[in-house]
Amino acid sequence: MKKKTRRQFLIETGCCAGVLALQPIIGRAQDKTSPLDMVVCKWKGDPIPEEPTREIAEKLTKKAIESIGGLERFIKKGDVVWIKPNMAWDRTPEQASNTNPDLLRTLIELCFNAGAKTVKVGDNTVNDATKSYVTSGISAVAKETGAELVYIDRSRFKETNIDGERVKKIPIYPEMIESDILISVPVAKHHASTTVTLAMKNYMGVIENRRMFHQDLPTCIKDLTAYMKPKISILDAIRILTANGPQGGDLKDVKRLNTVAVSVDIVALDAFGCEILNYDPNQIGTVKKAFESGLGQIDYKNKLKYQEIVV
Amino acid sequence: MKFKRPRSWTQWIRRFCQLGFLALFIVLAWNLHFIDDANTTEIYKIFFHLNPLIFLLTFLSTWTITGLSLLCIITIIVTLLLGRVFCGWFCPFGTLHTFFTWLAQLGLKKKEYQNRTTGHRIKYFILFAMLGMSLFGGHWFGIFDPFSFFYRALTTSVFPAFHIAIEESSTAIYNEDPKIFGVPVTKISEPIYKKFRAHVFRMSQKTFYTEGTIITFTLLLAIGLNFLRPRFWCRYICPLGGLLGLISQKPLMRIKNDESSCSNCRLCSKACPAGAQPDQRGNWLPTECFVCWNCVASCRSDSITFQFQLPGKNTITTGKLDYPRRTVLTAMATGTAGLLGFRVAPQSKQGQPFPSTLIRPPGARNERDFLQRCIQCGVCMRVCPTNAIQPAGIEGGWEALWTPKLVPKIGYCLYSCNMCGQVCPTQAIQPLSLQNKQKTKIGLATFDKGRCIPYSYGRECLVCEEHCPLSPKAIYLIEREVTLRDGRVVKIKQPEVDPDLCIGCGFCEWSCVFQDTAAIRITTANETRNSKNQPILVFEDTYPAGVENTSPNSPY
Repeated sequence: MKKKTRRQFLIETGCCAGVLALQPIIGRAQDKTSPLDMVVCKWKGDPIPEEPTREIAEKLTKKAIESIGGLERFIKKGDVVWIKPNMAWDRTPEQASNTNPDLLRTLIELCFNAGAKTVKVGDNTVNDATKSYVTSGISAVAKETGAELVYIDRSRFKETNIDGERVKKIPIYPEMIESDILISVPVAKHHASTTVTLAMKNYMGVIENRRMFHQDLPTCIKDLTAYMKPKISILDAIRILTANGPQGGDLKDVKRLNTVAVSVDIVALDAFGCEILNYDPNQIGTVKKAFESGLGQIDYKNKLKYQEIVV
Repeated sequence: MKFKRPRSWTQWIRRFCQLGFLALFIVLAWNLHFIDDANTTEIYKIFFHLNPLIFLLTFLSTWTITGLSLLCIITIIVTLLLGRVFCGWFCPFGTLHTFFTWLAQLGLKKKEYQNRTTGHRIKYFILFAMLGMSLFGGHWFGIFDPFSFFYRALTTSVFPAFHIAIEESSTAIYNEDPKIFGVPVTKISEPIYKKFRAHVFRMSQKTFYTEGTIITFTLLLAIGLNFLRPRFWCRYICPLGGLLGLISQKPLMRIKNDESSCSNCRLCSKACPAGAQPDQRGNWLPTECFVCWNCVASCRSDSITFQFQLPGKNTITTGKLDYPRRTVLTAMATGTAGLLGFRVAPQSKQGQPFPSTLIRPPGARNERDFLQRCIQCGVCMRVCPTNAIQPAGIEGGWEALWTPKLVPKIGYCLYSCNMCGQVCPTQAIQPLSLQNKQKTKIGLATFDKGRCIPYSYGRECLVCEEHCPLSPKAIYLIEREVTLRDGRVVKIKQPEVDPDLCIGCGFCEWSCVFQDTAAIRITTANETRNSKNQPILVFEDTYPAGVENTSPNSPY
């Protein structure tokens, strides 16, 4: 055996140390091949420009969806996609009661790019649908992108067995659950009964007879989420409503966060939503209940493949 | 004698005109829609502005002139020159009757109807009775005005029926999902229905209370009477026709019946839908004639012509109006007596806030002033996006029959909408800016704590709080300890109403989980328009931070 020179030894040691030191980075790079569970995209560009959200929303949405593996991961060619935003209120995008239309525009385009045959957008609105759709700016977006804007017909809800803990039977809109995938795209808002309203509560727009749910919202929402089996949910935190929710109205309650989060775990997404609204997710009934029923993780930072990206 | 085709081109022009205006009327009514820019709403009122009856009676009862209502001068000038062309060529309600008169006489032998009867006086009687009423500050002419009549019927019966027919049938197909040769019918019906929903109906389905049914019957009656007499409504009842008849006593354009060629065949008299006596030489009645040219077209010997006669010359004599002064006074006295009869009801006492459910749309004037202007036309009911505005019954007295009222359990007053005031043709509902409208109180919400779930059943609810559109909300929450049946003590958020903030929009009542009788209800208390209905003393110092005084002073 050839004797090692000191120089050689030092070089080899150095190389090994280098490899060891680099390992976490390489490992992460290897991890990237198996897709992420949750991505949060934040806009670094401060000072925040006063008006134009369109560019910010588009970039954030694109980046977030790209990072989670693209919509091709969830949408097959020829699928019918139902996008379920918050658009229940006759409020403008600036008032942050409805999902940001610019985010939706990008999302619809990405859906089409992923091979979707039809993209339907619709919500069981509280204010009159026609007016809410127009005021929220989503009607224009649907027209622009070629998505189908669906007006919910109240007489078409069908009693469906969902066999939950609290909810056994509930009228669900058939066209929504007949779609190949339903993507919940809520805006992060304050809510008096549930403290916050996020992706899980957004499913209240799939059903009728929802008013009585308020007597035990966490369990009912958990039952509904379990039935819906979400594949992917997107949280709009470009503007968030911090008080007087879910309807808002006062621009003083609106905060610009310029953040978009995407997750395959709806509970984790809601937990993140609680945090940005300054609540502890463990204290929020809906999130806690869903976690306890095994629908997802609250501690998304440690339990999920999570990445935070600054765009 | 030269034989002529009994239908001449003048009549086709007239029919074209009539159908055009009817279509315009219906299209304007159909398209009246809350999304429209507030500046363009005037076009939707154009028919009402051209109606001199509305102008005259609103002016007499309020001594004010509203909006573009002076446009009716056009109608008056045209009538002075040409007679009642308004009735024969323009009026959409008249066109409807023309059509049904034609339908009624289809296949029947042409019959001669009595020329002038005492029945022709009815319309003048109604007109003068209304005039008498309005001189004493009230009226009921919206019930009889043809445009109001027709618009109201379209809004509350024809349009909803059409909508329901399309929607229910397509839903039935959707639910049944029948197949023809293996192809589902929904493949065709669904795209059609969705097109209808998005581009034709636009608003969600509207329904109207029992008063809507009564209005339907009035329309059916008015149409059905055409089977008794041609254009029954126009020749006997229409007070607008009466007014135009008064104006057209000496029109410039007159019928000349040439004595030398006339064979006294009386075909013209059979063709006349008005009973205007074109066959009686020198006794043609310009006050009744619709200038429809039927007589001209029916004449086989070209004896009847319309000719211009300059004022002052009296070459063509006409029949006189058969309505003596004494009868005018009788009619006016009857109208006044009728008004007194209306006012005997306790509801009609000035400022009386009774009944508590008679919630008027935001911007509605003080009740007396409101009734003096409201013509019961139903434009506000058409435009209301939530179906909240319904025709009232007689709960506000006979005078307030079919006037608009809000029924919060059917629909609520949308916070971001002020369309009813924008479209009201007589400004009975004032055109408030959105900002002012949002400060205008139309009532006050009150909890029925014996029914409200957090109070009486020990559970969370808060649906009403979620729906309150104000910011800060007029419904706030107080967490209180409640003992349950098993002895557990739980903390429950109980809602309360802030009477200083609540504008009475009724969103809470609409949203209440109780569908039968809501546990939070709106009454007229606190309504801005009525200073005698103010039970709540304003405590400005206890207002939440950042809220300015929203108490009654601003828009009035």
